[in-house]
Amino acid sequence: MTDYFEVHARDGAARIGELRLSDSVTTPAVVDDVLADAGSLWATERELPDGSDDVLTVLPHRSLPAGSADEVRESFAVDYPDMDFPSAAVVTADTADDYGADAYVLSDAQGFVGHARAFRDNVIEAKENLPADTALMLSGVATPRNVSLLVYAGVDLVDETLARARGLEGFYLTSDGEYFLEDLDELPCACEACRKPASEFTRADAADHNANALRAELARVRRRVRDGRLRDYVEGQARHDQWLTALFRRFDQQYSFMEERVPVIRDSELTAASEESIDRVEIQRFADRVTKRYRNRFDNPLVLLPCSAKKPYSESQSHRQFQEAVQYRAHMVSMTSPIGVVPQELELTYPAQHYDSVVTGDWSEDEKSFVAEVLRRYLERNDYPRIIAHLPPGAYTEIVERVADDLDLDVEFTVSEHPTTTESIGNLMRTLDGEPKFTREEREHNVVKALADYQLGPDAGDALFSDVELEMTSRYPKLQVWNDAGVQLATMVPQYGVLSFTLEGAKVWRDSDAPTKTVEIDGFVPHGSVLAPGVVDADADIRPGDEVVVEGPKAFAIGRAEMGGRELIESTRGIGVEIRHVEER
Amino acid sequence: MSKPSPEVYERGRGMDAHNKVMRDIRSRKQKTYDPHEPTRVWIDEDNTPDGVYDSLTIILNTGGCRWARAGGCTMCGYVAESVEGGTVAHEALMDQIRVCLDHEAEEMDDGEQAGLIKIYTSGSFLDEREVPAETRDAIAETFADRDRMVVESLPDFVTREKLADFTDRGLETDVAIGLETATDRVRHDCVNKYFDFADFEDACEEAAAAGGGVKAYLLMKPPFLSEPEALDDMKSSIRRCAAVDNCHTVSMNPTNVQRYTMVDELFFNGGYRPPWLWSVADALRETADVDAIVVSDPVGGGQERGAHNCGDCDELVFKAVKDFNLRQDPSVFDQVSCDCEATWEFVLDNETSYNMPLVK
Repeated sequence: MTDYFEVHARDGAARIGELRLSDSVTTPAVVDDVLADAGSLWATERELPDGSDDVLTVLPHRSLPAGSADEVRESFAVDYPDMDFPSAAVVTADTADDYGADAYVLSDAQGFVGHARAFRDNVIEAKENLPADTALMLSGVATPRNVSLLVYAGVDLVDETLARARGLEGFYLTSDGEYFLEDLDELPCACEACRKPASEFTRADAADHNANALRAELARVRRRVRDGRLRDYVEGQARHDQWLTALFRRFDQQYSFMEERVPVIRDSELTAASEESIDRVEIQRFADRVTKRYRNRFDNPLVLLPCSAKKPYSESQSHRQFQEAVQYRAHMVSMTSPIGVVPQELELTYPAQHYDSVVTGDWSEDEKSFVAEVLRRYLERNDYPRIIAHLPPGAYTEIVERVADDLDLDVEFTVSEHPTTTESIGNLMRTLDGEPKFTREEREHNVVKALADYQLGPDAGDALFSDVELEMTSRYPKLQVWNDAGVQLATMVPQYGVLSFTLEGAKVWRDSDAPTKTVEIDGFVPHGSVLAPGVVDADADIRPGDEVVVEGPKAFAIGRAEMGGRELIESTRGIGVEIRHVEER
Repeated sequence: MSKPSPEVYERGRGMDAHNKVMRDIRSRKQKTYDPHEPTRVWIDEDNTPDGVYDSLTIILNTGGCRWARAGGCTMCGYVAESVEGGTVAHEALMDQIRVCLDHEAEEMDDGEQAGLIKIYTSGSFLDEREVPAETRDAIAETFADRDRMVVESLPDFVTREKLADFTDRGLETDVAIGLETATDRVRHDCVNKYFDFADFEDACEEAAAAGGGVKAYLLMKPPFLSEPEALDDMKSSIRRCAAVDNCHTVSMNPTNVQRYTMVDELFFNGGYRPPWLWSVADALRETADVDAIVVSDPVGGGQERGAHNCGDCDELVFKAVKDFNLRQDPSVFDQVSCDCEATWEFVLDNETSYNMPLVK
C-alpha cells in the first residue's frame, strides 16, 4: 500500500507527485529536510522506528553499494516490514520488491550516475520491480546540471548532499556546468548566497548557492513536467554534459519503457529542435500508427505536399493555395520532418498540429531517411491511382524519387522553383483536370474513420462505423458523429485530433471487432473520476490519455485514462480515469 | 554458545556469500611466489610499552592464511602473496629468515641490530599448518638475543604453550591479532572474519598466562560502512580493546584498497572510498586518554587507494599521525588544518551507506 505518495501528473517517466507528509511536498524535490534515516544494519542491530507523519523515515537498511556481488546482494538484502507511517526502503534495482513502502532508495547510485547505459539499466529494472505509484529516490548524486535528466528518467526524490559537498570542495555549480571558485571573477547567479562580491564568496557560500541552484532547477523541471514539455527541455539541457546526452539517447533505445509512459495526447507544443527529436516516442508513435493503423479511404489521386510552419497545415497560406488548386479532387498528404507523412484527416492529431521544428531548408541524412522510410511504408500500404508530388525541388523531391524507385511507382512532379508560384499552382490545378471531386460527406466520414483507425487500431474506423448510417453535425473540425437513430456516438476533439465517445459510442466500440481498451472496476458507480484503488483490472496497452471503456458490476462508463495500464492495475492512489459519461447497471 | 535464530541463519548465509565471492575474486590472480624469499622485509621504528625501538618487520611467506583459502576477509589481498599449493617446508622458511637477517645487516649501521622483531604471515604465525612447531622454535632461537617479538595470529591459535617458545627465551612477546573491530556484527558481516570479541579476550588471557601481551589490529572503515559509522565504530573499538587486560597496544589500520579483494570490486565500481586521514586523526585524538598505546600506519596514505584527504594536506596529516605514534600526544593534530576539514565534517553529517561515497 502506498499511503503517503501520490502521482498527480505524468510526462513520460517523469511525474509530478505529492509526498503526503503533515506538510506535503510536491515532487520531484529535494527531501533533505523531511528525510529521517533510521540507520544502517551493517553497523548495529536496530529497533524499528516509530516514524512520524512529519518525515519520510528510511527504514533500517543494509545498503549494498555499487560493485556488490550478486551473492552478497541476495544474502544481505533486508526484508522490510510494511509500516503505517511514511517510509522508504533502501534497495538495489535487482533486489527491489514491493515492501509496502512509499519510496525506494537505490543504494548504488554512486556507481551508475555518470554512466548512461548502467544508469538506464538500473532505473528501468528498478521501475519494473517496484510498484508504479511509489517514489524513486537517489541520494548523493543530484546537481543542477543533471537533475532534469534524473527526473526525465523517473526519479522523484533527490537531496542536496552532493551539491553542498561540491561547494565545500570549492566548486560552483550551475545548470550548465561547474567552476572552480577561484576562477570566478563574477558570480553568474543572483540567488541570496550570491549577493556579495566574488572576492568575499566562501566555500560555505558556494554550498548554499549550489543547493539554491538545484532547487531552482527542480522548480523549472516541475513546471516543464506540468506542461508536458520536459523532453523539449532535456534535449537542450543534456548538451551540457556528454553522459547526459548519452543518457536520453539510451532511453530512446528502450522504446517500450518510454512508450508505455508517454501520453498519447497533449495540448502543448512539441519542439523538434535536435537530431534526437526524431527518436522521441510521440514522433515514432505517430509514424508507426500512420503506417500501420491508418488507411486511406479516398479513391482520388494522392497529392504530396510540403509541410507549413503554421499548424494545422490547412490554415497556412500555402496550404490554402494548394487547397484552392486541388478543389477536393485529390487526397492531400503532407511530408514533414520529423513527423514523416501527415494525411489530411490527421492534421489535427497529436503531435501533427503541435510540433514546431527548426526550418532552414537543409535536411540531414537522418531526416531524409526517416521521412523516406515512413513514406515508403505508407505507400506500400495505400494504393493510389496517381501520385502527384507538389514539392519544392531538393530534399523533398529527392525523398520521393528514392521511394518511387524503390517501389517502382510513377510520380508526377508539378512544382517549378517553388510550390506557391503561379506557375506551380497552375500546374497542380491542371494536373488534376478531369479528376472527380469528393463530397463533404465523404471527406467528413473519412476523417472520423481515420481518427478511429489511428486511435484504436487497424480497420477500427470500418469496424465501428460501417454498420451505422453516420450523420455529421457541426462543422469540421468539431465534427459530431450520430447514428441513424439520432443518437450521438462521438465528438471530434479539435485540440488533440481524436474522437471522444458517448456511452452509445462506447457500446458500439465494445461490441465491434476493433480492440477495446477496458478498465474493469469494483461495484460502484463512478462520478467524475475512477480512483486507482477502485480499479480491478485494466488492459496493459492503455496509455495515459487513451479513450477507455470502464465496466463494473454496477456501472458502464466511458472516459479518458490518466495513467497507463500497468499503473492502473498497481496503483493504490491517484486518479485513474476521468469519466465523461456513466450509466448505472 | 549461540542458539539457532534467524539472525544466525542469516549470518551463515552472508558468510557463505562473502566466501564464495572472495574465492572467485582471488582465483583471478595467477601470480605465484618463491618459497625461499620473504614476501617483504623492512626496517622501521616502533612505539612499545618499553619505549621506541628500531624494528625489523618480516612478512613471512607461508602457505597462506587458512581462512583466506575458504574465501576470507573482504579487504585482504595478502593471501595472493603467499606461495602456491599450501605449506612451505621448514628449510624454505628458514631460508626466508636468513634473507631477512641479511637485509637487516645491510640496512643498519655496523654492529647495530633491531631490538624488536615483528613477524607477520598474512595469516597466523601460530597456526602450525603455516609455521610448523620445529620452525617456530628455530625462529625463536634465532632471535633469542633481541628484546621484543611480535607475531601475528588469529586468536584461535594463541596458546600459552606456543608463546612459551619465545617468553621462555626471555623475549617480551606480543601477539598481533587482527581483531579489525570490537563489534562482532561488523567483523562478521563487513569484514567476514568468523571469530568473536570474546575469542579475542580469551586470546589475551592465554598470552598473559605465557607472560606475553597482545597488540590489537583494528580496521578503519571496513566495506559497507559509511564514514561516520566507521569512525564511531573505530572509537568504540579502541576503547573496548584498551579496556581488555593485557591488550597494551592498539594499531589502527585504515583500509587500503588491495587488488583481488571485495573492497577492490566496490572501489572500482564506485561503491567504496578509503577513510579520510581526518578520520584517522580524529580517532587517535579522541581516544588519546585510553590506557593503551594507540598507533596507526596508514598504508597508501594520501593516495586514492589509501586513507586520504583533499590532496593538499595529506602529507602534513600523515606526518602528524606518525608523530603521534611515537609520542602519543594529541596536540600534534592541532598543528594541521585545511579547507577540506569542512568537507570531511559535512561527510560525517551527511554520508549514509546509501549515498556513499559522497565525496571521492
